[in-house]
Amino acid sequence: MITSTEDAQNEDRIQRRVNKILETRLETDKDTLDALSNLSNFFVENTLQNRRNLRSEIERRTVGINESFLQAFREVKNTLDTVCEDLDAMAKSVQTMKCNLESSKALTHDLISQTNSLQTEREHLQVDQQIAEAFLARFQLTVPEHQILYGTTKDAQIVPEFFTVLNRVQSIHADCRVLMQCGYQTAALEIMEEMTLHQEGAFERLYRWTQNHCRNLENNEIGSLVVEAMSRLQDRPVLFKYVVDEYAIVRRAVLVRLFIEALTEGGANGSLKPIELHAHDPKRYIGDMFAWLHQAIPNEKENLSLLLKKCDKNDLSEQTQTALAYIADGVCHPLKVRVETILTSEKDTIVLFAISNLLRFYQQIIKQVVKGGTLEQTLIDLQKSSEEIYLNSLSNQVRSILQRPASASLGIEPPQRDLIPPMSVGRLLNMLKEILSVATMVDGRQTDITKIVSCVIDPLLQSVQESASHLPTIDMAVYLLNCLYHMQSSLAVYEYMDERVERLQAQSDAQIDTLISEQASSLVANLNLGPIYTILQNNQTKIEANLLKIFMNKMDAFLEMPEMLLLPQVQLLMSSAHRNTVRKRAFNVIVAIYKQIYDRVHDPANGFENPDSVFSKTPDQVGKILAV
Amino acid sequence: MSSAPYNYNYIFKYIIIGDMGVGKSCLLHQFTEKKFMANCPHTIGVEFGTRIIEVDDKKIKLQIWDTAGQERFRAVTRSYYRGAAGALMVYDITRRSTYNHLSSWLTDTRNLTNPNTVIFLIGNKSDLESTREVTYEEAKEFADENGLMFLEASAMSGQNVEEAFLETARKIYQNIQEGRLDLNASESGVQHRPSQPGRTSLTNEAPNTKDQCSC
Repeated sequence: MITSTEDAQNEDRIQRRVNKILETRLETDKDTLDALSNLSNFFVENTLQNRRNLRSEIERRTVGINESFLQAFREVKNTLDTVCEDLDAMAKSVQTMKCNLESSKALTHDLISQTNSLQTEREHLQVDQQIAEAFLARFQLTVPEHQILYGTTKDAQIVPEFFTVLNRVQSIHADCRVLMQCGYQTAALEIMEEMTLHQEGAFERLYRWTQNHCRNLENNEIGSLVVEAMSRLQDRPVLFKYVVDEYAIVRRAVLVRLFIEALTEGGANGSLKPIELHAHDPKRYIGDMFAWLHQAIPNEKENLSLLLKKCDKNDLSEQTQTALAYIADGVCHPLKVRVETILTSEKDTIVLFAISNLLRFYQQIIKQVVKGGTLEQTLIDLQKSSEEIYLNSLSNQVRSILQRPASASLGIEPPQRDLIPPMSVGRLLNMLKEILSVATMVDGRQTDITKIVSCVIDPLLQSVQESASHLPTIDMAVYLLNCLYHMQSSLAVYEYMDERVERLQAQSDAQIDTLISEQASSLVANLNLGPIYTILQNNQTKIEANLLKIFMNKMDAFLEMPEMLLLPQVQLLMSSAHRNTVRKRAFNVIVAIYKQIYDRVHDPANGFENPDSVFSKTPDQVGKILAV
Repeated sequence: MSSAPYNYNYIFKYIIIGDMGVGKSCLLHQFTEKKFMANCPHTIGVEFGTRIIEVDDKKIKLQIWDTAGQERFRAVTRSYYRGAAGALMVYDITRRSTYNHLSSWLTDTRNLTNPNTVIFLIGNKSDLESTREVTYEEAKEFADENGLMFLEASAMSGQNVEEAFLETARKIYQNIQEGRLDLNASESGVQHRPSQPGRTSLTNEAPNTKDQCSC
């Protein structure tokens, strides 16, 4: 069995091999094909020799191939050896470098720590620098600021930035207080001092500039810079005052020039004539001059207040007033000379009075604008002297009218027989009327008028009385009454005459009394009342019948025509009121005496027989007749 | 440096004339204060008022001299005509006498002012229509004959008051533009002021007669 199996197995093995060979597809086995094709090259001829040598040939070729392999690998190996050597060298170098580094590291360690500390220090210093810079920026001026403040050249213009810088200087100065409170006394004090110096310098420069500007202020155009400058300068009252003074000096000169120009050259290219062209018409001339001034001064005032517009720290009203007065003062001289020339050359009292009025008017108007300067005083002086001059002129005129041409003594034409006031009285009163009708525009008229009236009336009264003194009593009384009446009636129409009229009235009353008593005496004489009156006065009871009879006859005739027994001079009284008063009061005297006689005769105690036969009329009847 | 020192470019001088009681001072008061002044006292001599107006974007300061109408002040008021750029001649439409005196007022004005003075005739009290004595047409004719500007106005109601003052200013301004008024002459009744701040410095010359435009 075993053998059979072995046989079977052997058989199987062989079978399998055969099968394998059989199954081999040589045409598909590429290696085999290559090998075979290669083998086929070995020999050209299929000889025995060749067949025997096949094996050695194959081996020889194999050895050849192996040798070339060997050679190739040797080269590779050599190359690798070189690379390896290089790597070894590199490793050595690196090692050396590493050693070097280590040692360097050890060496630089100090340096690095030093650098670090320096860096920290630098950072600190930078912070410090920033603080210092901020401090400086806050507490010091920059160069440009400095330049602005002090100007690049000596007489550089002030620019608007100047004030900003000045503000800064001042705020720095103020900030120093805070600085000081924070404990930096030294720095604060130093900066304060520095800023004070800057401020002073700046103010000095500002002052010089402003003053210079004002000095050249021809056109009176005030720039905003000057206005600002003035507002700054208020902190320095002295400098401020100097600038205002300078301004006033300049404007004063300009105002005078303009005034003279208006006087002599006119304006508006000849369409306005110079004021002096009217010098022949004093009222117009003087009026024009003052009107010009009155209109020029408000402009000056306005410009001045413009200049000081931003100055609000102090009360400047007084300073403004002084400056304005100074500006206006310049015109005093030219004005005064001209007005005085007119006053001395003008002869017409009425014109003089009008001028005096004009002067007073403007004195009062201008006083309201410009107070306390020479101008005010000049105007007062001019007004006073004009008043003196016109009063003087008036007195002269009065004197010349009252003077009789023939004699040098004061007096008027002697009274004529008609006892009417002489011509001169009329002329003087007319003159007075003319003066009083001159338009007066101001208060104080009353004193003026009183003065004028005294100036005319007093000498007039005097001379009238003097010339009247040569007349008999009755004529004198009538003449004076006529003159007084004339004056009284002329004056009564004006205001403020009450006192004067009253005085004249008192004088008239005295004369009327005189006249009445004269008239009454004359009536008593004419009616033969004298003896009877004496008896009545002496309280004697007996009146002679004869006397009574004569009296009654005369009385009857008198009652027929009462006018007959009036004094002829009484008819010459110009005033009917005077005439009536004299007549009435004189007649009243007669009526009173008549009544006394009547009562006496009718008194039974006196033992008159048939008293009714004596009297034809009762006292009442007589009174009625005489009252007509 | 906020505001210019001068808030105006020009000053014009005006005078107001006319008979007593026609309402000169009331017109002025109405114009300057925009109020009616009842029981206005008589003007003594001359009074003075100002107001700033605008013409053609130019600020103009009017300097107005209000004269007394009373005869006794005539000697004084005459002196104020000198150098007026504008004259407002006022009458009262309810009182013919004030209208009748216009020709004498006009003669005075023509004699005492320069030929370029603008004369404006104002018939005041136009609110009192019921007592009117002078018709508009009649006065208009008078104004035309004499080359005057004319308006009826009322100081009481304010009607036409502004117009009269402004028209006058416009006319004066026109005269300036046309070169008829010499601004450099001190007595033209017009003064020029530069309005620009900071322009005036030492080196600056007087401003030109031509405008400096500010805008």
